[in-house]
Amino acid sequence: MKRTRGGGDEEAPRQNGSVGRKKGDPQQSEADDGGSTLGPADLQDDDNDPGLRREIRSKYRDLINSVQQNREDMLSPSNNKLTEVLEEANKLFKDVRQAREAALDAQLLVVATDLGKEKASQLFAEGTAFDHIAFAERLLSFMGLNRLEDGEDDQQNRGGIDGYLPKDAWHRVARRAESCFMTAPAFHYMMGSFHAEPPPPKQKIERQRKAPSKEAARIMPTQLKKMEGSHQEATEKEVERILGYLKSYYQDDPTSPISYYEFVIDPNSFSRTVENIFHTSFLIRDGLARMYLDDDKLPCIAPVEEGEVEAGGSWSRKQCIISISPKIWRELIDAFDIRDTLIQPQNTQTE
Amino acid sequence: MTQRKRLSNSHSSSQSKRQSGNLVSQEEDDDSTFTQPSTLQVQRGLEKLTTAQVDQKTAEVVQYFLVKDQKKIPVRRADLVKHVVKDYRNIYPEIIKRAARVFDQVFGLKLVEIDAKNHMYILINKLEKVDGALPIKSPANPKMGLLFVILGVIFMKGGVVRENLIWNTLKKLRVDSGEKHEEFGDVKKVITDEFVRQRYLEYVRIPHTEPIEHEFRWGQRADMEVSKAKILEFMGELHEQDPQSWTQQYKEAHSVPGSTQAGTSSQR
Repeated sequence: MKRTRGGGDEEAPRQNGSVGRKKGDPQQSEADDGGSTLGPADLQDDDNDPGLRREIRSKYRDLINSVQQNREDMLSPSNNKLTEVLEEANKLFKDVRQAREAALDAQLLVVATDLGKEKASQLFAEGTAFDHIAFAERLLSFMGLNRLEDGEDDQQNRGGIDGYLPKDAWHRVARRAESCFMTAPAFHYMMGSFHAEPPPPKQKIERQRKAPSKEAARIMPTQLKKMEGSHQEATEKEVERILGYLKSYYQDDPTSPISYYEFVIDPNSFSRTVENIFHTSFLIRDGLARMYLDDDKLPCIAPVEEGEVEAGGSWSRKQCIISISPKIWRELIDAFDIRDTLIQPQNTQTE
Repeated sequence: MTQRKRLSNSHSSSQSKRQSGNLVSQEEDDDSTFTQPSTLQVQRGLEKLTTAQVDQKTAEVVQYFLVKDQKKIPVRRADLVKHVVKDYRNIYPEIIKRAARVFDQVFGLKLVEIDAKNHMYILINKLEKVDGALPIKSPANPKMGLLFVILGVIFMKGGVVRENLIWNTLKKLRVDSGEKHEEFGDVKKVITDEFVRQRYLEYVRIPHTEPIEHEFRWGQRADMEVSKAKILEFMGELHEQDPQSWTQQYKEAHSVPGSTQAGTSSQR
């Protein structure tokens, strides 16, 4: 039952399972296997002395407590307190005779082993060790700690720490630390959610609209028909009217050619001029009038004779596009000295 | 001693206690017996559905995840099946596959199963952050800063620290676990409850301690979401040191090239 000292901070403490004595028999006394210098006579007395037993157990409990209470201390690599505890335990163990004490010894062993493991893990850092307190100091600077001058305020701050942390201290850290995280951005609606209640005013509007629409529906068809009719008829009427003008002017003087421009242009209204051109084009299309160029190469218009209408079908039809702008219209008025319109405008609106 | 102890919380306790059977359970309420259907079952299931139906269900799953992820609490497969997938559970693997594709291609997010035993999922960002080029400057969540401090210390100290070390570090930073903090409120609750539920941290009891002490480790979400290399970089900046001077940490941070995950088993 040799015990190795828990020597140094690197090794695990003493070997486990080195207790060789039977635990089940509290009354039996056995000789300590090694390292003991007690004679058989002494053992007899120690075995039965309840005072000594209590003392030993109490010492064990003290040791256990000291390890637990001073854990932080024991862990520090700067001392050998753990080793000292184990050495104490070693000494105590020599006097252990009964199971109760042995049980305490075992308990101490467990606690010490845990501590030993902790100490071993502290040696993790190869290279530079990491000092968490130094880290905290540096982080405080990063946060923007305003270290006040000596003598000011230092006692009033918590725990006597001097300096004043700005309000956004943790935000600064978070900002910088964000890049370490691959956090999925939290989902939220960009424009917020809609207000789920249907607005009451809308319903009223619907009801009001329903009443007039029924009547309107009835009126509409009749009106439309009229409009439709008047549109087409108006154009036809106009075309016929213009044909009438053309024929009458032609009959006044069949030999004198009617200048096209003089015929269509209304010096008082550009839009009427355009309408005249439009309506005249129907006459040309239907073969009721013809256009030709006179000796001066100016366009003239003349009605087609009754007899010639059918013969007009054999003539080659030509298409041309006439355009006119207000500028040209004015120029034509000046050039031809058109003072009055040949096609009298209608009194009623035909648009 | 080095085994990771899973903190049994209300989410997974019922699941871990039951034994999952070998048949696909059709019961609506008892989803802890949900077993992954076989490829053949999935195929057959798909044949009975139109593309539109499957797409619709996929979209519902995507939406569920997006909303659940707002709080950063992992999504349990059981909840997903019970509330969203429902009758389509026989094609569950196909739906998850499609949802993952949507996250990847539409949102630039990665659907990750962080707990293969209890079947929990999280969403993480796939895209590399571009420094300073963010058009929308959303305000940084200060809890990220707090989390950084804790995760950073744990990492630099080898992957496990006793809770007192963390509390002491925080105290130095004017964050006292016993007092209400201006920014974080009930600090102890945020750290030992919220961060743990979000799986950023693990808060495990150390055996045989009297009074009870705990230790902190990185949580499953942190393993996926946090870059050790970037933490080391920040540490280097703070300490005005080359990150490589911390050889052990540097080695661990760069152990899987191009990945943010350090092997969990290598953490002692």
